[in-house]
Amino acid sequence: MNNWHRLVWNQRDALFAGLQVTVEVCFISFAFAVLGGLVLCLVRMYVRPLRPVATVLIEFFRATPILVQLLWVNYAWPELFGWPTTFYQAACTALALQSSGYLAETFRGGIEAIPRGQREAAFSVGMSPLLVFWRIILPQVLLSSAPAIVNQFTVIVKSSTLVSVITVQDLMFQSQKIVNIAYEPIEILTATAAMYIAFIYVVSMAGKLLADRLRRSYGIAVR
Amino acid sequence: MNDLPMIRVVDVHKRFGTLEVLKGVSFDVHRGSVVSMIGASGSGKSTLLRCINHLEVPSAGDIFIEGESLCFRGAADGARKPRSLAEINRIRRDLGIVFQQFNLWPHMTVLGNVTEAPQRVRGMSRKDAIALGEACLARVHLRDKAHEYPARLSGGQQQRVAIARALAMQPKVMLFDEPTSSLDPELTDEVLAVMRELADDGTTMIVVTHEMGFAKDVSDQVMFLHNGLIEEEGPPAQVFGAPRSERLRQFISKYVQ
Amino acid sequence: MSDSLREILDLQLFWEFRTVLLRGLAVNFYVFAAAAVLALILGLGAALLRNSRFSPLRWLGALHVEVFRNAPDYVMVVWVHFVLPLLIGAVLHSRFEFDPFVSAMIALGFVYSGYFAETFRAGIEAIPAGHLEAARSLGMGEGLILRRIILPQVVRSMLPESINQFISLFKATTIVSLIAVPDLMYQVSMITQQQMRPLPLYTGAAITYFVIVLVAGSSLRVLADRWRAKILA
Repeated sequence: MNNWHRLVWNQRDALFAGLQVTVEVCFISFAFAVLGGLVLCLVRMYVRPLRPVATVLIEFFRATPILVQLLWVNYAWPELFGWPTTFYQAACTALALQSSGYLAETFRGGIEAIPRGQREAAFSVGMSPLLVFWRIILPQVLLSSAPAIVNQFTVIVKSSTLVSVITVQDLMFQSQKIVNIAYEPIEILTATAAMYIAFIYVVSMAGKLLADRLRRSYGIAVR
Repeated sequence: MNDLPMIRVVDVHKRFGTLEVLKGVSFDVHRGSVVSMIGASGSGKSTLLRCINHLEVPSAGDIFIEGESLCFRGAADGARKPRSLAEINRIRRDLGIVFQQFNLWPHMTVLGNVTEAPQRVRGMSRKDAIALGEACLARVHLRDKAHEYPARLSGGQQQRVAIARALAMQPKVMLFDEPTSSLDPELTDEVLAVMRELADDGTTMIVVTHEMGFAKDVSDQVMFLHNGLIEEEGPPAQVFGAPRSERLRQFISKYVQ
Repeated sequence: MSDSLREILDLQLFWEFRTVLLRGLAVNFYVFAAAAVLALILGLGAALLRNSRFSPLRWLGALHVEVFRNAPDYVMVVWVHFVLPLLIGAVLHSRFEFDPFVSAMIALGFVYSGYFAETFRAGIEAIPAGHLEAARSLGMGEGLILRRIILPQVVRSMLPESINQFISLFKATTIVSLIAVPDLMYQVSMITQQQMRPLPLYTGAAITYFVIVLVAGSSLRVLADRWRAKILA
């Protein structure tokens, strides 16, 4: 078992650096995914002239595989839009776009599920539509969507394993670099797989607990 | 009593597609009086009530709140233009409404529900809003539930919170849209009791209801609607004791034991 | 930007290579089919294990599900392709290799069996206990109950969710291009290296998947709804 020590433990700095990049990419993409999903959802529901555009975008991001989106954003967009300029930007963009499509649909379901009477009550006390959205609709949508939002985070983490394909130096990239140098894949790849599985397991358990606790604290009120 | 009626409804029509639900309704409500609207389902009573606070927009006619038109505003050149949402919201602050389905916001506490509008719409400070909210909750005998979430309350308690929420905006008129129709029989009494107390305090109220006992005992004026028109109106003694129209007689005999 | 627009619309390049690309797409379908079968079998097995009366079996089923549901597709594909043959080879004392197609099938099959297992479990638990009691009191054996009572109901109630997972699996097959399986994306990469024109090719690939997933997804959902409507209220 000397191999483990040599191939994995000794490389822990490189692996840790890769893990840092992975975590960064995931959190940035996640933040933009939630925002993007909200924007897409609101445009689709309330901005009538742009409704078909938003709908097509949502379906497009959900239907295309993440690898295809990564490659497309990375190689085609710079020619089209002049942006992104780095692989890192391309990776975050592609991951965010994919999840924003799913979240847009989740948010739409959440908004539609709120009984109309609550809006009427809010209007009847003189609240403006913006205030109604900000204080009544949005909090409930976020609460009821909490499990789905957490789930999308795990999806982003799993998809982030592919960003090594566009040479972003995440955990997968670092592992593969070690394999290429040492020609001994068993220990390092197994360790990498175990790290990802453990990380995702912890994240999804923590997220589930957080989401459940949040919802339970409001009584059986929120679905 | 003030000469100007608190609410004046003038020839209101309401059409949904090809169906005309209100066919020309006119009446006055004076300050401090309690008006009950009774009638069969589909007679247009709820629609009429919802027109008064602009949840439904009349297809024709107008409604005046303390002399001010709800639907239109006079422009400089004398023409009438429909009111903007901001202006309607301003008027809505003076009209409190209690819905059949309570419509409490589930993600806020009872006190949160009651203080939300005073803070965000009237701009009250948090301290003042809480004081006001607790006073309103005391009025409906629910001050001890201030920090509960709506889901933990019974139907009757939730409806009383809804009343407190409407009262917190210190409205000039309270509108009630079948407030007890969704409640189990044992729970309606507590809500009706609160409504009676409000009436005794001199609140101007318009109540759409099937509770004939309430209509008879508490109202100053009863209106019987049928097919989008006021078939008969008058003091309860007259409407219940000596109904002139045959339909009203049949309606009463069905509801009053 | 208009140059680029013209570039994208120059799907002629896409059209030129259509035979190669279509063959690549077919490979995606083959991988999908093989992995789907494996995922269904393993998923059903794991779900049944979790419902078993023996706690070690229940634990085994749960372990299977937790490991594979939380495993990233790409990591598993790489592991199965590069590590598993070495492990098997060590046991067999000979050099062992997987055809990349087989690696893909095994890896994706196991990962998606995790998702299917959860779906099946939800379906099994949703069956009212009364149905099973009635069957047992009529003297039906466990195998018969599984085949005639449990499975049909599970399939019907879990069909919409399963369709979503099949679509995810189909999308996941693009990963096999990274271990040199000649699927659509692999061909696109090869052609791009030759032709040095990524714009129309990658855009074309994205649109292709968009159309397939949209069309297949909606038709499957419509068919599923019609089939289910016959029994469910």
